[in-house]
Amino acid sequence: MRTSGDNGTVLVKNLEQSAEVHGKAVTARSGLQVASLVQGIGMVGALLILPLALPINIATEILIFGIFAMATNLLIGTAGLYSFGQAAFFGAGGYAAGYVLAHGWTSLPLALMVACGIGGLVAAAVGILSIRRLGVYFMMLTFAFNQLVYYIIYSWRSVTGGEDGLVGIQRPILELPFVGSFGFDDNKRFYGLAAVLFLATMIALVRMVNSPFGIVLAASRQNSRRTISLGYQVATLQLVAFVIAGAISGVAGALFGMLYRIMPVDSVHWAASAYVVFMVIIGGQKSMLGPVIGAAVFIWLQGLFSLVWIRWPLLLGLFVILIMIYLPDGLVGLFSKVSSWTARWRGQRS
Amino acid sequence: MLWLISAQLVNGIAIGMIYALMSLGLSIIKGLLNIPNFAHGALYALGAYVCYSVSSVGMPFAVGLLAAFLATGLAGLALDRLAIRPVGENGYLPQLITLFGAALIIEQLLLIGWGTVGLSYSPPLILRGAFDLGFTVLPKYIAFASIFSALVISAVWLLIERTKFGAYVRAGIERPDTTQALGIDVDLLLSGGMMLGAGLAGLAGGLALPLVGATSTMGGDMLGIAFVVLVIGGLGSLYGSVAAGVAVGVVQSLMTIAAPAASTAIIYAVMIGILLFRPQGLFGER
Repeated sequence: MRTSGDNGTVLVKNLEQSAEVHGKAVTARSGLQVASLVQGIGMVGALLILPLALPINIATEILIFGIFAMATNLLIGTAGLYSFGQAAFFGAGGYAAGYVLAHGWTSLPLALMVACGIGGLVAAAVGILSIRRLGVYFMMLTFAFNQLVYYIIYSWRSVTGGEDGLVGIQRPILELPFVGSFGFDDNKRFYGLAAVLFLATMIALVRMVNSPFGIVLAASRQNSRRTISLGYQVATLQLVAFVIAGAISGVAGALFGMLYRIMPVDSVHWAASAYVVFMVIIGGQKSMLGPVIGAAVFIWLQGLFSLVWIRWPLLLGLFVILIMIYLPDGLVGLFSKVSSWTARWRGQRS
Repeated sequence: MLWLISAQLVNGIAIGMIYALMSLGLSIIKGLLNIPNFAHGALYALGAYVCYSVSSVGMPFAVGLLAAFLATGLAGLALDRLAIRPVGENGYLPQLITLFGAALIIEQLLLIGWGTVGLSYSPPLILRGAFDLGFTVLPKYIAFASIFSALVISAVWLLIERTKFGAYVRAGIERPDTTQALGIDVDLLLSGGMMLGAGLAGLAGGLALPLVGATSTMGGDMLGIAFVVLVIGGLGSLYGSVAAGVAVGVVQSLMTIAAPAASTAIIYAVMIGILLFRPQGLFGER
């Protein structure tokens, strides 16, 4: 681990040096900082506007699935691990935190730590068994493990409530020294909590993707054998990424349980795993913003379609196929397409 | 007790043969197109519904099975042309997504066409009742389903191992580029493989109809089991899935005696156990 970390730094230095060779390193970096500052302000602004534009619970749900989709994108977009079993970790974290919250322990840090820990543990167990299998095989294994977790939760009625879901989940309370205790029964406050966790996740994941760890993961996605032959512990790093994604998914699951005060068994079904992959793909996997946009569009469309027609999954299926055919890079790809069109149009005018 | 166990055993073999049909289809598609067919469960459900409709308008059950095979085969062709081909150049993730989208569409179409209430169907008169074997009874339909599946699997084996089409299929699985270079139309071959694989799923659905009825959600559960069977049998082994399918069916049926609630979870546990000792599956290559 340590050696590979060092090597990662070397890799980053090499990249930076090559940037300096091109002669614009300093300006590029300050430009980058300004850009990321602008992006940060834009993101905070969007988080403030979102609850005004949509019903507050839908807005919260978008943030929760945004967290879930970003975690999944660490695997799909960065590491190239096509997991079809992420709902298992979302559900494991959600059920664990929900159980704690439904049985009288309402401390927020406790609930989040339980969700994070259980999500990560289950992901570690699944990851150890499946990470060395490649490609299609990996996908089918994660899918099968997802089903295993589903059946365990489905059959373990005394703890999980079986097919009725886990009911009676209380919103947590945050005890701060000297300040007092914060309850989250108010939906606006709960949105605030989700927004804070969303921002924290986004910052952490963006930093992770750009860190030596993330760069080695990306390298292994592009050419796994070569990365291994350069001396990186690819399997170990992939497992670490898998556990991190599982832990974050667990937190998203916990928030979902708190939001609706129930953890439905459907949230663990493999279809939920497929939905989060949808979110990543229809948004665009090249940045962390893509999955968030994907989650927002997905949740919004789901609400819209389900109002229009009882057979709404049909519309969803059509939408996904059309997006895949016409916008293979996702909705973020659409923005860059549009901006390149407008640039060309301007170029023609001047 | 012996009576119960042997009854569950024959039951398990019949269900296992249906799993084997499903997984053989999945295995052919996986081999040729290198994608796990996420619409396989929906095709299975489609087969059950088509078989129900054809049989309930007075046609013989055998015609129902044939119709299930042909209809899902055509659906497989449609999937190939509309969902797989248009996104083909970008790796297999987009294809999975479109196949999953197609599965959603098929399941909803089943609900629109046949309603939300599950359908049940009893086998034709000649297949009702049971043979008394002394130590146990063997329901006639169970015997029929096992023998029929075995015949279909043998026919597919003959088709793939003993015919020119089969030789192309094997070549396409082994070395797609070389096959193309030899002047064989691989595109056509892939469509053929998709149709055959999808048709087998539909046939499995038709065969399962008298046993489990037809519901729109039957596909999702079956898809999970078919994946488990494929993983246990080992990817890259076309016929490993047949043995694994029967084994999974038998294990699942026997477990319903001991722990009915956990009988489905147990096959996943079996899968984990096998993966720990043989990561490539029972018959897979490393």
